[in-house]
Amino acid sequence: MKGNLAKLRASIVKDARILLRDRQALILFFTMPVLFVLILSLSLRDVFGDRPGATFPVLVVAQDRQEVGQGIIDTFRNNPHVRLSLDEDASEAEARQWLIDGQYRFVVLVPAGATEQAKRRLGEVMADVPVELRLERPVEVRVLADPSLRSDYRKVLEGSLDLALHGIEMKLGREQLEQTLRVTQGTHFSGLPDFDQARLFLPVHGETVTKGVGGPTPTSVQQNAPAWTLLAMFFLTVPLSVSFIKEREQGSLFRLQTMTVPPWVVLGGKAVPYFVINQIQMISVLAVSVYVLPLLGGDPLGLGNAPLALVLMGASASLAAIGFGIAVAVFARTTEQAAGFSSATVMIMGALGGILVPKAVMLPIMQDLAVISPLSWGLDGFLDIFVRGGGLADVLPEALALLAFSAFCHAIAIARYRRRG
Amino acid sequence: MTQHRCASPAQPGDTDARAPAIELLGLSKSFPGGRAPALDGIDLVVPRGGIFGILGPNGAGKTTLMSILGGLILPSAGSVRIAGHDVLTESRHIRHILGLVPQEPAIYPTLTARENLDFFGRMQGLSGAYLDSRVQACLELAEMTGEADQRVEQFSGGYKRRLNMVIGLMHEPEILILDEPTVAIDPHSRALIHHRLRELNAAGITILISTHYMEEAELLCSDVAIIDHGRLIVQGSVPELLARRRDEAIELQFFSEPDGALAQALQAIPGVRQVELAGCRMRISSDRPELAIAPIMQRVQADGPTLRSLVYGRASLEQVFLSLTGDRGELR
Ligand SMILES: Nc1ncnc2c1ncn2[C@@H]1O[C@H](COP(=O)(O)OP(=O)(O)O)[C@@H](O)[C@H]1O
Ligand SMILES: [Mg+2]
Repeated sequence: MKGNLAKLRASIVKDARILLRDRQALILFFTMPVLFVLILSLSLRDVFGDRPGATFPVLVVAQDRQEVGQGIIDTFRNNPHVRLSLDEDASEAEARQWLIDGQYRFVVLVPAGATEQAKRRLGEVMADVPVELRLERPVEVRVLADPSLRSDYRKVLEGSLDLALHGIEMKLGREQLEQTLRVTQGTHFSGLPDFDQARLFLPVHGETVTKGVGGPTPTSVQQNAPAWTLLAMFFLTVPLSVSFIKEREQGSLFRLQTMTVPPWVVLGGKAVPYFVINQIQMISVLAVSVYVLPLLGGDPLGLGNAPLALVLMGASASLAAIGFGIAVAVFARTTEQAAGFSSATVMIMGALGGILVPKAVMLPIMQDLAVISPLSWGLDGFLDIFVRGGGLADVLPEALALLAFSAFCHAIAIARYRRRG
Repeated sequence: MTQHRCASPAQPGDTDARAPAIELLGLSKSFPGGRAPALDGIDLVVPRGGIFGILGPNGAGKTTLMSILGGLILPSAGSVRIAGHDVLTESRHIRHILGLVPQEPAIYPTLTARENLDFFGRMQGLSGAYLDSRVQACLELAEMTGEADQRVEQFSGGYKRRLNMVIGLMHEPEILILDEPTVAIDPHSRALIHHRLRELNAAGITILISTHYMEEAELLCSDVAIIDHGRLIVQGSVPELLARRRDEAIELQFFSEPDGALAQALQAIPGVRQVELAGCRMRISSDRPELAIAPIMQRVQADGPTLRSLVYGRASLEQVFLSLTGDRGELR
């Protein structure tokens, strides 16, 4: 046993050397996941669920600064999701250009004299002028929107603008009514009641109802960081299985067999360096998501508050990936077969498992199907930690599933390796 | 070469000094899907102390035989014992005794020669100062101390084969098995390998080498076994096998084609059994070539075209092989 441990150490040193000398592969292993996370987290930022800190640059071009212009400005100013910019006399063409340049994502155009026009219109309404004889048309407050603005965010912004206009209508109407009553009733009139105190309905607060753990849906970075870490980890099955088959083709594996080196020494020699690389992949992706992404304007990743759970998930996902790679290596005949099969399988497992496309946007039947992908188990574990604030106990089922998958793969690999032709 | 073993001292009972180096009994191997068996009922005893050649053309079954000896593949039938230990059930005992050098260099291309030796040495259970001294000794055996720290992928084929061989020597085996160690190799590397094998043999190591070069076996081996299509055709000491053919043939080669009349005239000479003519070559079988040679030469000089070469009394294993496989009549 002691002798075999020395052999294991020598095996690890050997495989680590071979890996470290493959510079191109190493660069790929580490840059691929980091770049993917940066690019996708930034570009898909708004496609994902609630972003508590998310804000949009909104421009209000208020050529009217009376009740209408001011009312709209006040509404957006009080909206926490809006970074408001004001302009008095920009043209529509200018506003369009700013939108295309990405300077603003939503522009509100308040025409000059909007308040005057609204009041004249109100006067005609109060005077009961028949519709076909009214001279004043309703005020048109126009909106320009960036196409990449998520449609539901856009609806929210349009809705709050509508709400603001309603409020202004109410306010102007009440003022007009008050004035008329004061004229007709003279000193008997003591003013209208305070409508703000007379709300008939409570403000609306939605409650999220989900099955299972539920809770908030992940943000872009919460989804992307673990997703690409997992995909990168599982993609190492390609070089892992190829290196194994190369060893067979070069005959060194046979040589080791004549030396009666036990299979776990050979497997361990490969598994340990790849495990270390997997952990470095995870750490680098998380570090970039926490520290670099915010510098580039993305949302930072919160790592939750269960570092041990994180370590457990990282380790078990890596062991699952390594087991899969070794099983592929033992069953594939050629390096091409191994590389083709493992990369295709990993992509399919990634697609099924909610790596390429988040599970939340999948059809329910596909969401149920995701259960068969080990990458989905890994992703669920990480999301438990990042999104739902889960701890060690919460990720245990996912970690155990990954470890069982790993054990199964290793077992069939060793059984096959022992069987001599 | 100094022979000192200290890392894995031979346990009493590990090796039975009286047992032959290798014993094969009724050894057969059929591959799934293979039409004919790769090995077909081979009985063979390789005694200790010699250089034993397994001779046969490509596809004869040499590598299959070597792989079974190394425990890499299982025989379909028969038994294999190395130094008295069964290969299937007592592989642990055999590991220290046996060194196996595979046909294709089994080395890591992106590691250096030294790293390869060090790794395989450790896999044989060597360590510490003994390991270091073995690495150095093997580098010297392969004459590559100057290239020890170069990556193996930069080596020529000859260097790779030299390294491949000495890896099998790291643990100082008593029995060394080499599968075609000199295929596709430069003359210097081939000579070096031959030289080292003789040195090792002189130091008491039993060597089993497979080859399809008949001359190599003649040059190097004390005993040979010739196999073809998985069957053992003949086994014996090299002089013994060559003696079988010694009296058989005189081979003549002319600058131009001789006519049939010359052949007939030669046929009449006492002691000549048969004359075969193939273009410029003539092969004369004789029961008493030492008596027939003088009248043959007289006749040829009188009536034949100019003689280019004459070979007599130098039978080769190639002839032995061809005669035993029934592949006669083809003069080479
Ligand atoms: N793994 C294998 N599967 C099927 N047939 C094989 C295998 N290895 C060798 N053979 C066949 O067995 C025969 C002997 O091959 P081999 O031992 O490699 O010959 P040699 O080493 O003498 O050139 C050949 O006909 C070869 O095709
Ligand atoms: Mg061969």
